[in-house]
Amino acid sequence: MTKVDQFESVFRAAAKTPFAYRSVEVESILVVSDRDEEEARSLGEQLRSFLSVLQRGENVRWRIVHGGDYGTVPELLKLVEEERPGLICTYRHLHSDSWRWPYTLGEYVDVLTQATTTPVLVVPHPERMPDATMENTDVVMAMTDHLVGDHALVNWAARFTEDGGRLVLAAVEDDSTFERFMETVGKIPSIDTRSAREDILDRLSRDVRDYMGACRRGLASAGVPISVEDVLAAGHRLRECRRLVEEHDADLLVMHTKDEDQLAMHGLAYPLAIEVRSIPLLLL
Amino acid sequence: MAASLALQGGQAAGHVAGEVSGGVTFLFAGVLVALIVCLAFEEKLHAKKSLIVGVFAVASLLLGAALLPMPYGPYLIGGHEIRMPVYIPAVDWGVITIILGASLFVDVTSRSGLFTWIAIRLTKASGGDPLRLLWFYGVMTVVFSAVLNNVTAMIIVGSLTAVSLDKLNRKDKLLGFLLVEGLLTNIGGLLTLISSVPNIIVGTAAGISFMAFFVKASPFVLVATIITLILGARVFRVEGLKDEAGRASARALVDSFDENDGIESRGFFWFGAVMLVLFIVAIATASVTPLVSDLGMGFVAMAFAIVMLVRFKDEVDSFYRTVDWDLLGFFAALFMVINVMEHAQVLALIGHGVEAIIGLGPTLGTGAVMVSTAAFSSVTDNIPLAAMLAKIIAAMPGPGGGPLPPTDPLWWSVIFGANLGGNITPIGSASTLVAVTIIHKHGLHLTFAGFVRKAVPFALVQIVIAAVYVLWVM
Repeated sequence: MTKVDQFESVFRAAAKTPFAYRSVEVESILVVSDRDEEEARSLGEQLRSFLSVLQRGENVRWRIVHGGDYGTVPELLKLVEEERPGLICTYRHLHSDSWRWPYTLGEYVDVLTQATTTPVLVVPHPERMPDATMENTDVVMAMTDHLVGDHALVNWAARFTEDGGRLVLAAVEDDSTFERFMETVGKIPSIDTRSAREDILDRLSRDVRDYMGACRRGLASAGVPISVEDVLAAGHRLRECRRLVEEHDADLLVMHTKDEDQLAMHGLAYPLAIEVRSIPLLLL
Repeated sequence: MAASLALQGGQAAGHVAGEVSGGVTFLFAGVLVALIVCLAFEEKLHAKKSLIVGVFAVASLLLGAALLPMPYGPYLIGGHEIRMPVYIPAVDWGVITIILGASLFVDVTSRSGLFTWIAIRLTKASGGDPLRLLWFYGVMTVVFSAVLNNVTAMIIVGSLTAVSLDKLNRKDKLLGFLLVEGLLTNIGGLLTLISSVPNIIVGTAAGISFMAFFVKASPFVLVATIITLILGARVFRVEGLKDEAGRASARALVDSFDENDGIESRGFFWFGAVMLVLFIVAIATASVTPLVSDLGMGFVAMAFAIVMLVRFKDEVDSFYRTVDWDLLGFFAALFMVINVMEHAQVLALIGHGVEAIIGLGPTLGTGAVMVSTAAFSSVTDNIPLAAMLAKIIAAMPGPGGGPLPPTDPLWWSVIFGANLGGNITPIGSASTLVAVTIIHKHGLHLTFAGFVRKAVPFALVQIVIAAVYVLWVM
């Protein structure tokens, strides 16, 4: 019955995933700082400027929380529950000195990203914030390992891209996983290894590019005034992601952090959030 | 048909068939029965058809060499004495070349993306409405079965059905869709002379031209298709979408199919489309086209296959691998077995039985031939039966002592019976077997008895319509 498989494959390949545009509305923003009131307000001002794109035609409500407003994770969660913001803005290692050792995000951000459904904008730590990292969002990069069908990621990333700005849709295939599968394929006599490699790579890239094309058309037809670029890369996942962020000079990196299969943060998002510390990250 | 048709204009110059004792005839009849039983239990034997019939061909030839006066040749062909083994002229190479050529042609043409393009366009045209989808896929199954062959049609439409119903979240309807499509392949297989192997065998033996076949068969195919689809929609509760929101959602889902995804070269796509039309025209007019009429439909099929293969000249071997060699080997061996059975007077013996059925009268007798052909075809392969009956009927005297005319209802009762019998059981035809395989592939439970329970009402209606059509309308 190989012919049935052949035709099913042809039809499955022809069944494209359409992009579903949804307008993202952010009505209130909660800024969480662990510094005193003055520094927290200063961070809030910086963020207002950085996120000017969110003010577009909307009356966004801002609330600034300083270090004295909470001292534990449950207290912060209670604040979030009361405020029910559309976006939380904060930075790594709240109420901690461990920002000096860049191996975690700190317990507050860890819990906020997983225990709430609210997207979290993680900006560089105040002690490490370079001057040029939070000017605007004219280059936003949405990054994932499997972009196809991830409408929310694209919609959020598009919402954070300034008018006339660039939205870079980036999909990175981890070549170590791919090579491990190909090594197994190479041991199966009934599969032509060379054509399998070419066909799989071709199919992977076509599916992603088709979806990226659908996103571009969908955003254009919805009248979103941004340009959409697509980037498809394969390699060491973290190195490639970092390289792409630098290469495109991204102002904001957007990622999914929720993973239905686990309590911990998404497998790509966590290491990337730890490694990419120089620009803000929007963790959905 | 085998030797006599294959050697038109030629005759064995050596041995001449002589008397065969009744005991020897019954011995060979036993071999034939054993062959039919083995084919019926092909799945249980875990052996391919070609091997089963091949074993019987070897045994029959050895027994024939020992017990029968076989015409070993040399053979006189066009005034030339040609030596060849007795089993070579036994094979009807015209039939083999039609199947080989058409199969290669369809395989190469499908690489152009043409058939998938048509299938996806129809899916989109349905708007994703289940009832419209059933009608569109049903009609597509009939047309593809007629133009290509019923196995290829079932594979294309069946695989698209599985993918599109999955996309539409209607997998609960998959069993009904596939079953109706499987049944329609055998209806579509009646549309033209080359749509199914029994048509080719009986049609060529009767001397029915492509156009005559189409004109005679198409009214039945139209009516049977409509009734099968109406019945299928009712039995499997396939209903149209009632509200506008549901229709919009379904339309959006089917609109996400890209019919151009499978097209690698736009030029080859159009070339394939043009060649398909030319192929149908050439086959339809083969009997009246000068030069081609002498070379036959097998030549047309092979010529078109070779022209298409030029596009893939450096990888033709990949297409050779896709040819159903089991089917071709099965035919070749089957023709050999039938040839030996002819010499052993087994066909004459069966002929007496058929004559007894025909003797029931022009209406009852012909109807009984159709029903018994359908019943026999439902439990074993319809090709040996068609080949045997074609040979037996060809030997029967028609009005004025000559052969039966192509319009004789007897030919048509065998054609209709052999095709429609395939709708009674899952092993009755290769295409219903494909439908069941796709059903099982998608994790749906359908037993042999379950198939029969669901299919018999359809098959009965179709056979009744066919009987009325052949006996009173045609």
